[in-house]
Amino acid sequence: MFDFSIVTKWFHSLLTGVMPEWAAIGIECFIVLLFIILLYAILAIALIYGERKICAFFQCRIGPNRVGKWGLLQVFADVFKMLTKEIIKMRQSDRFLHDMAPYFMLLASFLTFACIPWNKGLAILDFNIGVFFFIAVSGIGIVGILLAGWSSRSKYPMIGAMRSGAQLVSYELSIGMTMLTVILLNGTMQFSEIVQQQADFGWNIIRGHVPAIIAFIIYLIAGNAECNRGPFDLPEAESELTAGYHTEYSGMHFGFFYLAEYLNLFICGAMAATIFLGGWAPIYFPGWEGFNHVMSLIPGFIWFFAKAFFVVFLLMWIRWTFPRLRIDQLLSLEWKYLMPISMLNILLMALVVCFGLTL
Amino acid sequence: MEERNYIQGILHASKTLLVGLKTSIKIFFEHHETEQYPENRDTLIFSDRNRFCLEMPHNEKNQYKCIACGLCQMACPNDSIHITSEMVETEDGKKKKQLVKYEYNLGQCMFCNLCVTACPHDAIQFNQEFENAVFDKKKLILTLNHPGSTLAEKPRPVVTPKPLETLKTAE
Amino acid sequence: MTLEITTIAPAELHAEMLRLKEERKMDYLRNLIGMDWGEEGLGVIYMLESSETGETANLKTLTADRENPCIPTVSDIWDIANIYEREVFDYFGIKFLNNPDMRRLFLREDWVGYPLRKDDKPEQENPLRMDDEPLADTTTEYFLREDGTLASRQHTIFAPEDYVVNVGPQHPSTHGVLHMRVKLDGETVRKIEPVLGYIHRGIEKISESLTYPQMLAMTDRLDYLSAMQNRHAMCMCIEKAMELEVTPRIQYIRTIMDELQRIASHLIYYACMTMDTGALTAFFYTFREREMLCKIFEDNFGGRLIMNYNTIGGVQYDILPDFARQVKEFCQALRKRFHEYQDIYTTNIIAQQRMIGVGTLSLDEVISRGVTGPSGRASGWHNDVRKRHPYALYDQVEFNEIIRTEGDTNARHWNRMDEILESLHIVEQLIDNIPEGEYQVKRKPIIKLPEGDFYQAVESSRGEFGVFIESKGDKSPYRVHFRSNGLPLVGAMDAACRDQKFADLIAIGASMDFVIPDIDR
Repeated sequence: MFDFSIVTKWFHSLLTGVMPEWAAIGIECFIVLLFIILLYAILAIALIYGERKICAFFQCRIGPNRVGKWGLLQVFADVFKMLTKEIIKMRQSDRFLHDMAPYFMLLASFLTFACIPWNKGLAILDFNIGVFFFIAVSGIGIVGILLAGWSSRSKYPMIGAMRSGAQLVSYELSIGMTMLTVILLNGTMQFSEIVQQQADFGWNIIRGHVPAIIAFIIYLIAGNAECNRGPFDLPEAESELTAGYHTEYSGMHFGFFYLAEYLNLFICGAMAATIFLGGWAPIYFPGWEGFNHVMSLIPGFIWFFAKAFFVVFLLMWIRWTFPRLRIDQLLSLEWKYLMPISMLNILLMALVVCFGLTL
Repeated sequence: MEERNYIQGILHASKTLLVGLKTSIKIFFEHHETEQYPENRDTLIFSDRNRFCLEMPHNEKNQYKCIACGLCQMACPNDSIHITSEMVETEDGKKKKQLVKYEYNLGQCMFCNLCVTACPHDAIQFNQEFENAVFDKKKLILTLNHPGSTLAEKPRPVVTPKPLETLKTAE
Repeated sequence: MTLEITTIAPAELHAEMLRLKEERKMDYLRNLIGMDWGEEGLGVIYMLESSETGETANLKTLTADRENPCIPTVSDIWDIANIYEREVFDYFGIKFLNNPDMRRLFLREDWVGYPLRKDDKPEQENPLRMDDEPLADTTTEYFLREDGTLASRQHTIFAPEDYVVNVGPQHPSTHGVLHMRVKLDGETVRKIEPVLGYIHRGIEKISESLTYPQMLAMTDRLDYLSAMQNRHAMCMCIEKAMELEVTPRIQYIRTIMDELQRIASHLIYYACMTMDTGALTAFFYTFREREMLCKIFEDNFGGRLIMNYNTIGGVQYDILPDFARQVKEFCQALRKRFHEYQDIYTTNIIAQQRMIGVGTLSLDEVISRGVTGPSGRASGWHNDVRKRHPYALYDQVEFNEIIRTEGDTNARHWNRMDEILESLHIVEQLIDNIPEGEYQVKRKPIIKLPEGDFYQAVESSRGEFGVFIESKGDKSPYRVHFRSNGLPLVGAMDAACRDQKFADLIAIGASMDFVIPDIDR
């Protein structure tokens, strides 16, 4: 497997050869920033287009097919439309917080986005408490939603925001629990290390067998809820709250919420790929040497994206199949089912690891 | 719903959810129902019972059949037909009503077909032209008789219409 | 066949009504129709029916006082009377004594005059108002003091400290321009106050100036998802008054059309129900099959939604030769697809959780509130007009009245699902046996009904739809009243939704399946 750190190290030494260290790091930071924003935009476009097409296919429709070939330019047209729209200022709303709320959402998704290990040796933020950091920064998004609902001074957003507060805080627990299960298995909180172990010893979902599969399913459910996507899209629940917490937003401010939603979806899928499906590690079958060799020729980031988008497709499939839960059912699902099960699951995983029952 | 314990509940729930997922993925690979208008304009076939817009058929000599009797105007529940007529004297000295302008307000029409059934001479009918959108409401007021058109000569002598008796039974 | 109506003095009305309810079990108030008899005065016609014995009784009461017409309320006897009396108050200005809620129902609160009175000139004092519509938080109750003078007291609907959310008039889930003011306590609904009239067109008033054939064009536009059945009711009512017999062929066609229309309506119901509970994919499943039905409608009657098909003494066109084949194909296709609807939505655990035990209405409640149709039958009330007062061919075909007793959203949902199958069953019995014959009975071109009162009800897709005509022997009716099937459904929303969650409000509303133009008329 190609180690991307060779490229980064070479680039770093190239820069330090002609300039002082601080300037080199500054330039590198700038390049990383460009890279992350560019990737963010590309992924958002791909995901929005993908969602619209996939949703349409589930619904016996064709989906966007007017703007560009197969409707490929639809998202650009949408963004352009959103940019030209007026950002509405409401009387009596808390303007400062109201304008700030979408940026909280963006901040949260950018920071979590930075944790993802794209390839071997290619991760933006990679340190020994990566998982902890990931869970911490993903919580910032809740602030954005709460602020959006609160500052709009309108009843629908308010109800949506309060719902999301209850929902996201609850489901953070399950996410934490499932990640803890994986940490038990891998013994590290560093994402690159987790993936490296999977490349060496097999994907977590296979290596950890029963408890890992349970954790994976719980992660999918909780992750879906974290992204505010159906069947857990209660904060926006368009059938009762019209658009939930972002009812009063227009133009690009709404666009930021929209972007963040799709990026959160991708991050959810990418994280599932990283901690359960082996991240950039290719698929290996012991004994099939030729097959394994061909697999290892495929670059790691392609493996990573394939896995991430596979999970994203699963999430879309779930979203476009199920009806929405009610707020009390949502909370009882978390507190009566997911929480106890994932706690037991940690115990199970601990036993599995302790007695060396991993595959 | 029968009572289930905790584990049974989870299993039952998972089963129903999987059935749902199976159904939706089956549809995912099925034929899409979308009709692609306007690409399919040529293949759009409407039965001749569709009522989209009222028209007054003219023959190749630019002649219509309307005798301006006003029955359709009376039958219309929405006042969307307005007939202007004048009295002219024919060659044999009889006075005769003649159509000047047949105005039809498409924007007000309820497409109830009462005017067509009221017409004793089959002078008006609904056509199957459905692309009637315009930018100005005034353009929806259509004049149905073509410019310069005249009343078609009947093969048999025209009897002075007695509207109520000739009215067709079919409403 | 005019209605037999007993006249009764206002003073004795309340006691007599109570007697009818208690002794003759007249527990279903079918209609409460305001009337303006000119010189004789203003009055009300009550149509009652017993849900047990099927007996009917019609009463009327009138008062000559046009300045301050007062009639005692019956809203303490039947819950539905409250909303009906508000309608009469709105149109005729009759004050119902001791009705706790005497506000206008459809018109703006600052409307001047009472438009259905024969001497009212609504245009004169009601210009197009560009200001916001006032919505009072209080309501008036009129009562007689002991010395016989009229007095009023105020009741509070919403206190200033209540958290009131406006659901509608523009809201994705009210299926049109319904406006509900909802008092919330957190996520829990404490009170619902429907504000109606956003699509009020005054069809009853308009009809008074139209001839009978012209009136028909209006019925399709009431409950547009039951267009066929509504017009069927109107035609039957007029035919009944004219004593016109239609041929078996017409009866067959009309019955088949009614049932196809019912299927189409229930398919849309399913779509809306799933959409309102967030399952957007299932929405398209029934639309796919409904498209086949629309195609049949379009080919045969020239309309997909508003068909204008039934006419007085017949139907507009004969069915096409291909009709039977098309319908059979549709029936097969729908039966094949039917399990998909249940698989993706109805049996789904989330949907079950959303529906079971939610929005329960008891049998007494549905009867007292006049909730007919599948919604009423979900609470165990045998109210199918097709069985109660058979018309067309319903006494000859074999079908079951779908009854459930739970009274919750799930029961209402399943009732509609089963009715689709039952309607298919009816259609399949009839489709191969359509007899030859005229599709339009010969009749005089100008229709004048004999003097009298006529009423005809049909089972529309969502309950009893009735047409009441009072004729004075002219070309136009003296008074037309439609028994809306949606108005009682909206009236029952408050009872069904109290102490449920806010999201349930939407699900319950969807399961009630009201169509707004039919409520507002």
